[in-house]
Order: sequence, then structure tokens, then C-alpha cells
Amino acid sequence: MSSNSGYVKEAPLVKGNHTFSSITALVADIVEKPTPFWWYIAFGISNLLMGLLFLMLGYLIWEGTGVWGLNNTVAWGWAIINFVWWVGIGHAGTLISAVLFLFRQGWRTAINRFAEAMTIFAVMCAGIFPAVHVGRIWVIYWVFPLPNQMQMWPNFQSPLLWDVFAVSTYFTVSLLFWYVGLIPDLATLRDRVKSKLAAKLYGAFALGWTGGNRQWQNYEKAYMLLAGLATPLVLSVHTIVSFDFAVSIIPGWHTTIFPPYFVAGAIFSGFAMVMTLMIIARKIYGLQDIMTIDHIEKMNIIILVTGWMVGFAYIMEFFIAWYSGVEYEKFAFVNRATGPYAWAYWIMMSCNVIAPNFFWFRKMRRSITVSFILSIVVNIGMWFERFVITVTSLAQDFLPGSWAYYSPTWVDVLTYVGTFGLFFTNFLLFLRFLPMIAIAEVKMVMPQADPHYYDEDGNEPVKETEELNEPNTNS
Amino acid sequence: MSKTEQKTYWRSLEDLSRNDAYKEYISREFPEDAGELKDGYSRKNFLQIMGASVALAGLAACRKPVQKLLPYHEQPEEIVAGIPLQYASTIPVKDSGIGVLITANEGRPTKIEGNPDHPGSRGATGIFHQASILDLYDVDRSRSPRQNGEQRSWGDFVSFAQQHFGDSSRRVAFVSEASGSPTFNRMKAEALSRFPNAAWATWEAHGPQNVLSGTELAFGTKLRPHYRFDRADVVLSLDYDFMSLAPDTVRSNMDYADHRRVSQTSDSMSRLYAVETTLSVTGSNADHRLRIKASEMPAFIAALGAALSGSVSGLDAFSGISNDFSQHSWISVLAQELADNSGNSIVAAGEDHAPEVHAMVAAINAALGNAGSSVEYLETGFHDDSYNPNALAGIAEGIRNGDFDTLVIIGGNPVFNAPADLDFAGLIDSVETSIHLSSHIDETSRLTTWHVNRAHYLEYWGDATSYEGVASVVQPLIRPLFDGKSEAEFLYALINGESGEGYDIVRETWSDVITSEFNSRWNEVVHNGIHDGEGFPVRSVSIASGMAAAVSDYLANLLPSSSDDIELVVRADTKLFDGRYANNGWLQELPDPITKITWDNVAAMSPATAERLGVRARKFGETDYDLITIETGDASVTMPAWILPGHADNSITVSTGYGRTNIGKVADDIGHDTFVFRTTSNMQVHPAVSVSMAGRTYPIACTQNHNQMEDRPLVREATLEEYRANPTFAPDMVYVPGRQNGGNPPNLFNDQLFPSHQPQWGMAIDLNACTGCGVCTIACQSENNIPVIGKREVVRNREMHWIRIDRYYMGDQNDPQVVHQPIPCMHCEQAPCEMVCPVAATTHSDDGLNQMTYNQCIGTRYCSNNCPFKVRRFNFFNYAKNWLEIDEDPDIIQMAMNPDVSVRFRGVMEKCTYCVQRINRAKIATKNETGNSIKPADGTVKTACQQACPSQAITFGDISDDESIITQTKRNDRNYVMLEELNIRPRTSYLAKLRNPNSQLA
Repeated sequence: MSSNSGYVKEAPLVKGNHTFSSITALVADIVEKPTPFWWYIAFGISNLLMGLLFLMLGYLIWEGTGVWGLNNTVAWGWAIINFVWWVGIGHAGTLISAVLFLFRQGWRTAINRFAEAMTIFAVMCAGIFPAVHVGRIWVIYWVFPLPNQMQMWPNFQSPLLWDVFAVSTYFTVSLLFWYVGLIPDLATLRDRVKSKLAAKLYGAFALGWTGGNRQWQNYEKAYMLLAGLATPLVLSVHTIVSFDFAVSIIPGWHTTIFPPYFVAGAIFSGFAMVMTLMIIARKIYGLQDIMTIDHIEKMNIIILVTGWMVGFAYIMEFFIAWYSGVEYEKFAFVNRATGPYAWAYWIMMSCNVIAPNFFWFRKMRRSITVSFILSIVVNIGMWFERFVITVTSLAQDFLPGSWAYYSPTWVDVLTYVGTFGLFFTNFLLFLRFLPMIAIAEVKMVMPQADPHYYDEDGNEPVKETEELNEPNTNS
Repeated sequence: MSKTEQKTYWRSLEDLSRNDAYKEYISREFPEDAGELKDGYSRKNFLQIMGASVALAGLAACRKPVQKLLPYHEQPEEIVAGIPLQYASTIPVKDSGIGVLITANEGRPTKIEGNPDHPGSRGATGIFHQASILDLYDVDRSRSPRQNGEQRSWGDFVSFAQQHFGDSSRRVAFVSEASGSPTFNRMKAEALSRFPNAAWATWEAHGPQNVLSGTELAFGTKLRPHYRFDRADVVLSLDYDFMSLAPDTVRSNMDYADHRRVSQTSDSMSRLYAVETTLSVTGSNADHRLRIKASEMPAFIAALGAALSGSVSGLDAFSGISNDFSQHSWISVLAQELADNSGNSIVAAGEDHAPEVHAMVAAINAALGNAGSSVEYLETGFHDDSYNPNALAGIAEGIRNGDFDTLVIIGGNPVFNAPADLDFAGLIDSVETSIHLSSHIDETSRLTTWHVNRAHYLEYWGDATSYEGVASVVQPLIRPLFDGKSEAEFLYALINGESGEGYDIVRETWSDVITSEFNSRWNEVVHNGIHDGEGFPVRSVSIASGMAAAVSDYLANLLPSSSDDIELVVRADTKLFDGRYANNGWLQELPDPITKITWDNVAAMSPATAERLGVRARKFGETDYDLITIETGDASVTMPAWILPGHADNSITVSTGYGRTNIGKVADDIGHDTFVFRTTSNMQVHPAVSVSMAGRTYPIACTQNHNQMEDRPLVREATLEEYRANPTFAPDMVYVPGRQNGGNPPNLFNDQLFPSHQPQWGMAIDLNACTGCGVCTIACQSENNIPVIGKREVVRNREMHWIRIDRYYMGDQNDPQVVHQPIPCMHCEQAPCEMVCPVAATTHSDDGLNQMTYNQCIGTRYCSNNCPFKVRRFNFFNYAKNWLEIDEDPDIIQMAMNPDVSVRFRGVMEKCTYCVQRINRAKIATKNETGNSIKPADGTVKTACQQACPSQAITFGDISDDESIITQTKRNDRNYVMLEELNIRPRTSYLAKLRNPNSQLA
């Protein structure tokens, strides 16, 4: 085949010789069929963990911030680490749906819904921490510029304030984007479900969608505009989160490379989290035809690339610390690798810089097991990256006399564990009641959506039905 | 001792106040309403009320505290609500007193400051003086006399005394604390004459007895050495910790610092040599320090005396002595230095050393011609035979022989702190009647027949003499909170069988001192806080004939401690002293000046000894330390080991005063009792003890986790020579762009300096004067209502002190150089904390203060993260509430609070304010006086830390005023700013430290 055109045909994005209706059935049936037993178990466990989260937060608010392991020197600990980690994870969704949409990456359609949902739930988990980590949560609203008789405005110089705006904007736009994308599929469900109540609910949220040309035209314009709006946010959120550190003067925080490095790290961890969830979901729900091994490979390539961007940043930080000639900077970085928290540093390095190198090999990239394991490894590594940045820089800063070691308490640990409860509770509800794959969008990238079969030169192609209909053997 | 490694500390103050066992104890001891017992109640009535009140005690927790507000019916003279008043008084500590000014807010004393007119204070104070105000509000103080554990009234005691002491043939044994009070000594003489069969012993666990006996040996009379550091160019301290534990530390520190103050290259400094066992505050500040075992000290002094006997006359007693130290490099250098500076040098030995050691030291001082100039030998007149080191043993012997039927213990706590072999508890049992006057129901009171509750010095009329002998009056500021009695009133009741007013008793004493115009002169003395009379007479001395024999006898009979034996040294604690301050939360939580340990005493040893014993050095962040068991023949204590750089090898130092039980909420179960090691023959040192690893660990709350400066230019120091060669060595250590033109580096932000606005506040801390004693921390705590947070929280590095002292070791860890650096808020002009607060809770004031608005703070702690000096303190829990509601009597401790300073709620950040309340008070006063200016006269605003500092290391004032002292100080060549290269422009700067080493010992 290669001899007659020199053109390597792209693998089809949807495998298994599906028709439009079989795709609809494949996705919508998940919602329509009775709830599987395993779901109740998973939901129960998630609920318990979520309860634990609320218990821990209640205890924290009742007793005071002292129930965490913080001290005078290290005044930010797991709460901020978890915040940055969850926000980072929340990056993949919008990146996949907005940036890849603008770049016309058709393969995004298999995972965008899924990833966007993950984004929203991850940002919800993240948002808890900045709110509860303050000493007096009952006046947290003072961070908003609310008119008051004292004419007391927040301090617009503070990166924490920028955070408030950045994260809340990101959450709002992500939610909106996700919802707009859901509308055609909600309409599909409205038309398919048997329960009257469900039909009413889906119908209400489908906003009267009928699938008319006019609607599609407006819809696609709106979707495009939202994608344009969301794209800068992908970059801005983690840039601003990184400002929390970069704007300060603490060695190890005070670094201009932070914004790109944080964004790369966020994409890195976000893709890894999508990977973890996707590998489970495609197996359970039999979606291997839509979330194909080719998708996994593409994502692994992104993980490899962003992993190296992060690795480059780690190395660059060292170089700049040395090049700056500032003894405090030099100490901060050498100390990370050799000091009391070296264990955390080396976990971070092995997970984030060494582990993704397996993906240089095609076989590894296309191995479900390796992908699954590495996706988890990467997220462990990214958690430790935030730990290294936050804790090691603070614990040993300028004056050795005030250095202090930080270790978390059980409340810190259980709060973090609890956020998984919140995340999975939401995620399981999403899997159960909403189409986890953008049905309408997937159909657009199916071969059937392009019935002319022109080749790239516009010639009527040789009909290659056998190849098109080739059964999927890779799953 | 096996229980000691159990949870011997309470998790938090809150926890403690909920301690059921303690509550039960309290309710048993102090039933509700039992205090209302009036005279004349029958025993039956008493039992009824007791029964009812025990029943009620359980309900006490449900009852809302009744707070009574009593408005002034008629405005008392002088009192204006909200304006504090200052009264002069005197703090008696052992046998001397220090003059203080006490601030009272609406009748409650809240702050202690030095009396500038008093020679022992000159405006400054020490940690014990600052903290003593908290003792007044100690809820655990005894609240009534008790007989055999049952509550009695003062009237009951007086009628008992009348009946019991009516018989003047009573064979009474008196044991009292050392006291320089003229009234007390008058009553003492009266008592001894009224009871001819009586005997008197003065007992201080760490007292002047040995020094006095030493001078008696050397000169034939008990004389008090008064070291004049202002006149000494060379000081040799032999375990003499004049910067922390010795008597008269405030005066000594001040004189010493004054004599070393350098403002230009032509200034000179005295030179301090320290020879010591443990690393003391004095040793850490010495120009040269030699570590030797305490048991080697006599030999060292003898060798020095021998070396000196060649060059100065009068040391024949030493000639011919030759020992291990004779060839030591220090001996010849010291002999040379001392001989060269005869007449203006000081040789001083630690109080706990044997009388013979003090005799040798006295002889050396006399031979050098120091006596009368740099060392004055004072005849106090009250240091009688009761001050003999073995007086207490004599009393014990007498009791054992049945010579006494009554034991009267006036203050002190001999059951806890007397030599263990005297078995004081057993002695109390074996006398018919025993009486103890004490502030707490302590180890001794629990055993005596009678306990009489003692008043705090802020509650009674009394008097005292300064170390050099100037008399002053102890003026009460408040009526006794718990109806306590002074020693004089107590003795008066014993002698006369009736109750006497302290006021009258003191005035009677003073009627001999003030011979004419008594009332007006008396008022003057009370008002000024000092009598203008002379001090004690300075005696000229000559070496007594018997001294040589006594010393050679002593040296010959010294128990040998071979260099391999591990010796045990028992020392007074830098914070609790002999345990008398054990229930004081401020002192418990003050980091030890050297180890930085709070809430514990440890067995300190050198790194080499630790290695020998198998004690593991702790890594950064570890808080559990090895327990070791130290055994002398008679006692064994398991306590935590601490590796102390600079400690003598094969020696272990433990401090006393810890390990109290059933005293009070703060003291109980904190640390380990080490008085058990002390016996009459081994009061200071056990030449050989056996030490073993206990195999367990114990948490220690240490506030400094890293002890090296990592070659960072934080504390900058040079020798005097280097300074003369390069006066600007300190600022030159760091290159800052833009500074060479006298300007500041370029800045992205608007300058926060308002040059048109006067005043602009700034501070300078002279590291050459600072000794690291910690009084600034306590003074700040007292002034600014800083809560005590307890050991658990300190273990987590959450200490709340607004000014801390960083201590760094440099060089060889076996023999390090030590520096101390007080760190308050730097009040940066470009404060990094201000920029990052999302709610603008920390902002800059027009007069250059970095202010913290507690009400606006939401507690993100971002400011603390971004503070390069880490001076910000966060209320992780509701510390203030836990601290102030420690007891069912929250009103009491709350009385110690400064009404001008907000008490901070949980969840807010706090930090040093440069004592903004004092600044604003002065500004308001200036505005009232001048009508327009808000710039107080230079020197009128003193921060609490500055005011308390005996070495006057801290200067504060208006830096926009060219003439102000602070501006002058900051013009000093040695002035530098920490982390100047960050361009944050701190308002607090430092003057670099100087040392004056001897090139021969380099």
C-alpha cells in the first residue's frame, strides 16, 4: 500500500466498524441500563471517604489550624500541596477540550467529556483547601472585593487574591464549557430514557435541543468561542497558582521559570489522571472501540513530552541557582537533593523524570498495564513535586536559627484521603447519569461522518472497504 | 524513676485544666466556699460546710464565674482610668534586692521595670525579675494556713503561736532563706534572743554560703565579694556565670557591657577568660574559653596561684604547688595577664564551688591588689554563722539528737532541695512541731504540722538591701490576693504571739535608719525606691594565717577524678534556678540561653562523651532524645541526654529545680529532679558516676533545630584588632548594588518611607553587648500579653515569642565559639509580608512601623512564609484563651494582662510591634503637651525589650532625627542590616560583635 501513495493512512479514531446508532447505544446504554452492583460498592466507599473529609474539615474548623502539622517556619503544608496538586490535575480537561479543539485534534473527542468532568471535580477538591487553610474561615469572604463601610478593599498586590479570581474563573468557564458540550447528548438521552422523570430532567437541561441545522450552527459557534475563552485560562490558572510561590522572596520559591513549569507539570499530571480513570472506565464499560489504544499512545506521548519539560525545569532551576551566585538559592536547591527532605526530592525525580522514559518505546506506550502504572506513578511524583517546592523551601530558608522540620499529622493525611472521596463520589455520579463520551462529537470524527472518501489530493479514492471494516484487534 | 519516660508533659494548657486528677485534688484541698470560714465556727459547723462544699465542688464547673464590677464611688486621688501608674519597690532575691518600678493599671500590677535610681538595677532587670509578676497571679499559690493538711485561718495560727511559743524555753530550730532585709534580720535577732535554746541555719540550695566561708578562710571574716566589672580590664571567670546565675547579674552585665562598648576604633574592651565545665552564658560570651571538668577546678586555681606566686607577693600558700595544670598553656598566659593588670582584674569562682576554692580565689584577688578596686569585699553585717555551708547539717544533727522540739522553716523548700543524705522529710517527722512559711503547698509544707501561706513581694511591706548594701523598701502594690503573710509578719507572730502589721514592723526597723523627720524621709524612700544611705563598708583585707594550711589540706584530700571517670555536676537552672520559679509558665517556656530547651532539664555532655556513652546525635527534625540513667551511690535518675558542644569531656551537667510534683499546673511532672544527687559531701560534683543508656527516648521541646550559621553573614563578628584595621568590616561583608553611593538599590515598588513624617522608628541591636540571657523575651511576653502554649506546642515549633534569640555555634563542635542574636520583627520598609497578604491585614504606618491589624487578619499565614526572618507568630489554637482560662479562677491570671495590648484570638498572626502601645502613649502625651508635634522627645519611648536589657544592647528611637541616639548608633561603623541584599530595608539593624582575644592563646 505504501508503494502506491507514500502516504501513511491515519488509524481510524473509532474502531470496531460502528454505526452512528451503535455509538449512541454504546454510550447511552450505560446510563439507561440498571445500575451495576459494583457501582453501589464504589459509591459507598467514596461516600465514606467524603464523610471522612467533612469530618476532618469540621474538626479543623472547630479546633483550629493547629490540628495540622504546620509550625512557625513551615506555615503551608499539605493543604497547599493538595490544592496545587488537584488544580494541576484539573488542567487536562480544559486543555483537551479547548486547546486540542482549536488545534483540530479529532482524537480528543473520545476523552474530552470524561476529562472535563474530571477537571471540574478536581477543581472542587482543590478549592476546598485555600478556603479551609485560613485561620478564620468565618471571614474568608474578606478576600472578595465587597463594598463595605470601612472602604477596606483586599490587597490586589497579593498572589493569593489573584488565585481567588483565577481559580474561580477557571471553574466557572470549565463548568460552562462542559455543560455546553453536554447539551446535544442530554437531548439524546432525553429522547431515549424510559423513565418520565429522567426524561423531564434531561429535557430541562437539554434546553429544548432538537438537533436542527440552526441549532448546530449556533452551538458550534458558541463552543468555539468558549474554547477560545478557556484556552488562555488553561495557561493562566497554573501560572497564577505558581505566582503564590514565584512572587515571594523565599529561595526555592522565588523563581521566574515557575509559570511555564507549573503549566507543563499540570498538563503532565492531568493527562496522567485522565489515563488512570480512562483505563478503568474503558475496561468496565467496554469502550475500547472509542477510547482506543491509539488514544492511549497519543496521551502517553504528551506525558513523555511534558515530563521532560518538567525535568528540564528541575535541571534549569539548579542551573539558575548556581548561575545567580546567591548563596541562599544555591543552598535551597542543593539542600533539596541532599538535605533532610532528599527522600521526597528523589521520589519526585524518579516518578516525574525517570519513569516517563518508558514511553520512548512504542511497546510500552501501547501497553495498558504500563500506561496504567505509570499514570499513577506520575501523579505520585507530581504530589511530591509540590511537597518539595512548598515544604523544603520553607523549612530551611534564610536564617538557620528558625529552621524547622515539618511533618503532617493524621488530620492532614485523612483530609487528603477524604478529597478522593469527594472526587470519586462526583465522578461516579457522572458515570452513572451523564454520557461519559461526547456522543455527538465522536460521531463527527467517524469515517461515516465524511462520506466522500476523498484522498488528500481530492481524488476519488479506491474503495478500501475491507480495511475500513477491519475488526478492531488491538483492544 | 521508671515512670519518668511516661507522658510527663501535658499536651496543652487546656488539657491540663481538664485534668481530672488535679481537679479532684483541688476540690479536696480548696472546697468551694470553704474560704468563707470565719473565726468562731465550731468544728461541727466546719464539717457541715466541708460536706456541703465537697458536694458543690462537682457543680463548680457549671457555674458561670461571677464578675463584680465596682465603680469608684469617689475618684481616688492620682488614679485616672486607663492611665497606668508606676510605683517604686524592691524585689528581694536571696540576700540582696533589686529596685524596680512597677506599673499598675487600676490597682493591679502588670509590668516590672528596673528602677534607674537603684544601683542594682539602673533601669534594667533580669529574667527572674521580669517573670516574678506572673508569680503574683499564680493560681496555685496556697490560699490559707493549714494544720496537718486541714485549712486554718491566720487567726488560728496566731493563737497556736501564742500558746506554743509562749514558752521561751522552746528549743526551736530555724531554717530560713538567705535574706538581706534589715527587718527580717532584726526579727531574726529578736527571735534568737527570745528563744535562747534556738539555733538558726540559713539554707539556699545555690546560695552565698560557700563564698562567705571562703572569704572567712582567706581573710578571717565573712565578706561578700563585689566584682566591679566597670573597673576590670581582665576578667577570669571560673564557672562564675555572672551573666546569668550569679547574684547581682543585672549590675554585673551592665558594668561589663559598658566596659566593652565600642563606638570608634580607639575604644578599648576588657577581656574575658572563662574556665568552665558546662557551656554557660558567660562562657559563650568569653573571649577565650577553656573547658575543664568541675572536679579539676581546684587544681587549676592552685596551679594559677602557684604561677602567680612568682610575680606577685602574698601567695606563698601556693608556692611549690605543682599539678597537671602547672604546664597548661593557659596558666602562664593567665598569670601574665593578671599580673600585668593587677588592681584592675577580677578572678571569680562559681558560688557552688567549695569554700576552699573561694578562699584561693579571694587570696589571688587580694595578692593581685584587686581587693578594694576591681573587687570590693563588703561586710554586710547580717552574714552570721547561720550562713555556714554546714549549718543545715548542724540543725539536722541536732534534730536527730532530739535537741529541738520545734522546727520553723521560713521560706525555702528543704525537703525538695536540701542534701539528700540529710533526709529532711524524716527530720520533719521526728520533731514534735514543724512550721513552714511558703507560697505553695510544696514538698515541705505537705509534711509540716503547720503551713502558713506566704505573700508575694508585691503584696507586703518589707525592705531589702542591694548587693552593695543600699537599703530600699518593698512596697506592696496590691492587697494579698490569698491573705499571705510576709516573713517579718510571720516571725512577729512567733515572737510576740500576736498578729502584727507588716507596715508597722518595717517602719520600726527604719526608725533606726532614718533618725530625723521620719515621716517625710520615709515617704521619700518609698517614693524613690532607694535610701540615699551608704552601702556596706568595703573592708581592706589581708590573707589570714590559717588559709595556707586549710587550702593545702583541701587540695590534698580532694577526691581524685581520673580523666576517664565521668563526673556529674549539679548546677542551678538558668530559668527555674533551684525550682522556686518552677510554676512560672513564662520561665518554663523561655528557651534556655544556650541549649534553647524549654520545659525540661537535661543531662548535658560533650559530643565526645556522648559518643562514648552511645548517645546518638539527633538529626534535623527529630524531637525524641535518648534517656540515660545516671547513678551515684545513693541516687539514680533517668533523664534525657543532651549533646552540648563546648561541654567538658567526661562530665555531665544537670540542672536543678525540675521534677516537682503536686505543686501546680505548670510545674508538675516537668523535667527530672536532680537534687537527689546532692549530698553533704558532694554538693556540686560527683567525681565518678556510672551512666548507662536507658534504651528509651523522650521528647524535648527545643526552639532551635539547627545550630550552625552555614557561613551566612547573619551574625557578623571580628576581633578588636580586625575591627581597628577595617572598621566597616560588617557592612562590607555583603555587596549591595547602589549602597556605595549612600543610597538604596533600585526598587520596583513605591518607597514606604515617609521622609516628611516625623518620627520614623528604628532599632539597633548591639551584638557586642548582647549576652543572650533572654530577658528581652520575657519582658516582651509580659508587656505584650504573649500566651504560654505548653510543651506539646513548642515541640511542634509553634512558640509565640515575639523576640527570640538565635544562638549559633561556630568552629570546632567540641570547643565552639558561640554567638547570640536577638531577632524581633525587622519592620522592613519594603516588607515582604505586607505585599502578600490578600486582605491587607499587615500594612505600613506613617511612622515606619510594619503593623499587624489583628481584626483584619484571616490567617492565610502567607506573610509568615514570606518573612525572611520568620518572626511572625501564628495562633494555631486559641492559645490566649487556653492560657488565660487555665483554672477555675480565670480572673486571677487575667489580671497580669496589659490592658493596652489586644489579646489575640485563634487564627490570627501576630508579631513584634516595636511596642506600638508605648509609642502611641508617648505620641499622645507629646501632642497634649505641645499641641501640634507628635514626635516624642528622644529616649522617651523605650520598647519593653530595650528597657529590660541589662547590657543595654538595644537602642530604639527616631531615625529621621539627626540628633537622636538611634541615629548616632546606626552611624557606628559596625552597623549592618541582615539580608540587606534582599532590598527589603529592615529598620532593625545590628552592630557587629567584637571579641578581644589574646594573641598568645590564638
